[in-house]
Order: sequence, then C-alpha cells, then structure tokens
Amino acid sequence: MQKVLINCFLILALLPGCGNDFPVIENLGGSNYQLTNQNEKEVLFPDFVKGKTVIAGYIFTNCPDICPLTTNNMRLIQERLEKEEVDNVQFVSISFDPGNDTPGVLKKFAEIRNLDLNNWTFLTGDKPVVDKLMKHVGVVAVPGDSTVFPSGKVSYYYIHTDRIQLIDSEGRIRKNYPGSSINIDEIINDIKSL
Amino acid sequence: MRIRFIFYSLFLIPFIVNAQQNKNQSSKIEVKDAWIRVSAQGSNTALFFEVVNNSDKPDTLLAAESNLAEVVEVHETFKRENDMMGMRKVNFVVIPPKSTVKFKPRDLHVMLIKLKSDLKVGDKSEVTLVFKNAGKLKAEAAVRDMQMMMNR
Ligand SMILES: [Cu+2]
Repeated sequence: MQKVLINCFLILALLPGCGNDFPVIENLGGSNYQLTNQNEKEVLFPDFVKGKTVIAGYIFTNCPDICPLTTNNMRLIQERLEKEEVDNVQFVSISFDPGNDTPGVLKKFAEIRNLDLNNWTFLTGDKPVVDKLMKHVGVVAVPGDSTVFPSGKVSYYYIHTDRIQLIDSEGRIRKNYPGSSINIDEIINDIKSL
Repeated sequence: MRIRFIFYSLFLIPFIVNAQQNKNQSSKIEVKDAWIRVSAQGSNTALFFEVVNNSDKPDTLLAAESNLAEVVEVHETFKRENDMMGMRKVNFVVIPPKSTVKFKPRDLHVMLIKLKSDLKVGDKSEVTLVFKNAGKLKAEAAVRDMQMMMNR
C-alpha cells in the first residue's frame, strides 16, 4: 500500500498539469472593461475573447526596452503556436498609458514591427477604465524618470510590472510571467496543458 | 651609399615608432555592433552597442549624439521587486581598462527620444559617442528587429 502511494506521488510529481499548476489568480470573467482597439473599434474586455485562451501583455509605447521585448516575446509565442498548430489562442496587448497610446499610435507600433494582427489586438481606453483594469489584473505603473523637451513638454517613463499573463477561456488569470524575459517553452507547455 | 641608406633609415625609426603609437592611441576605444531597435516616428527607441577599451586606462562615456531623435540620453533599465522594471538617465558610464561594456536590452542603452522619422529594418544611421579621453567616436548603427538578434 505504501509503495503504491509513493508511486502515485512520483507520477503526480512527474505529470505536468497535475495538481494545482494553474490556480485562479484573479477572475476577470463577468467584468466588462470598455476599451478601444487599434482600429478605433470599441470592445468589451475580456468578453470579446471569451472562449479563447488569452495571452495578455501590458505595455506603453514610449517604452524603448522592456515593452518592445515583451511584445517581441508575444510574437515568438504566436509563431511557435502556429508552427505547432495550436489554435484558439488570442493575443492582447493593453496600454497602461492611454494618454499617449491612442489607437493610431498602437496601430503604428504594431505595423512597424510587422506584427500579425489576425489573432492579436492592441487595446487602449479612457484612463479611469484602464486604471481600474490594471488594478484588477495586478499590473502597477507609476511615472518615474522623465525627459524635458526643448519645448518645455515633459514625457514620463513608467516604472511598471513587466508582465505577460495566461488567461483561460472563462476570463480567469491562471499564471503570471515576466514579460521581457519569459521562458517561451514554459508558456507554450502551459498553454497546451491548461 | 649603403652607409648613407642605413644612416637615413636610422633617422626614420623614431617616426615609424611614433606613427605606430598614434595608431594604437586611436584604437584604444572601439565601438562595435551598434544597432537600433525598430520604432515609429514620434516614438522612442534604444541604441545598443559594445564599447571595447583596449588601453590600460579607464575611459568614460559622457554622452551620445544622433540626428534621428529630438533628445538623446544615456539610460539604464533597472529591476525592482515584484517584477517591476524601470529606466533612468545616467550621467556617465565608466569603461574600465582592458574590458568591454555591453549596452544591451534590459540594461544600459542610449535612448533616442521622439524620433524624427520611422526607423525600419535595414535603415542605417551614423551615431556619435562622446568619451572623456577618446573624444568623439562615430559608429554606423543598423536598424534591427529583435527577431534578428535572437537568430544570430
Ligand atoms: Cu531609456
């Protein structure tokens, strides 16, 4: 009997996806955040992606280093999923700097990087809505260092959570990853075993 | 005749040695592998490169110049608790003797703020790095996608 138990534990330890690999971190299902996509179309998040596994990234386009890395990692995930013929996955990049990131700015950000927007949406919105959503998903963004332009205009750089999230088809956040340094193999396996 | 040749040759030696030293002087600091991350007009981006210090003395990077952007600053990306990342201006970067300092993603970079035009993959631009001892050094930077960096 003891031997059987030990064997069971061993099997459980070896099986990915067994046990509680993906506890619900936060439930976004039922909440409807009215946001605007890169084509100026209004969408309700996470309702508009309900029924799909969602890979969400949080960015601001004035960010020269971390957010482009996060975005590029999402592209790498997208390419891997396509190669491995995993479908029903939607990519969503949400800006926490709606003051600067208009739909047009987001569209340009995607275009210059030649991103495949077939299953990838960029979102922005009214600041109170975006702030509320960021709080809900656990992403913090506070203005840090700034640049003063010759014109006197000031531009702030956010100190922010470096985040990619795995959200299930019911709108529940199941796992957090460091966006700019995510292990691609890990999230690919997680998507498959969610 | 032969003696005269040797005499003049001896006379030239100090000049030859001196020229050699001058050559070493100018290659003491080398800027290598400069590249700029693709980005759109009006937006920001980062310039990355390696600085090799071949000399026995430290040098200091004081500034960078480029006509691609309205403002050019030396920055560093930093990590905070709970997966927080930020970025701040640095006033100088010391390049220790006989060493290489890499300006790379998630680390030191030259920030190109408010680009005057779109920077697309394949574009090239001259950038200038200002060192305390070596003075102004120019380098050609290629605009790249990160994809290409990873495949290298
Ligand atoms: Cu910077």
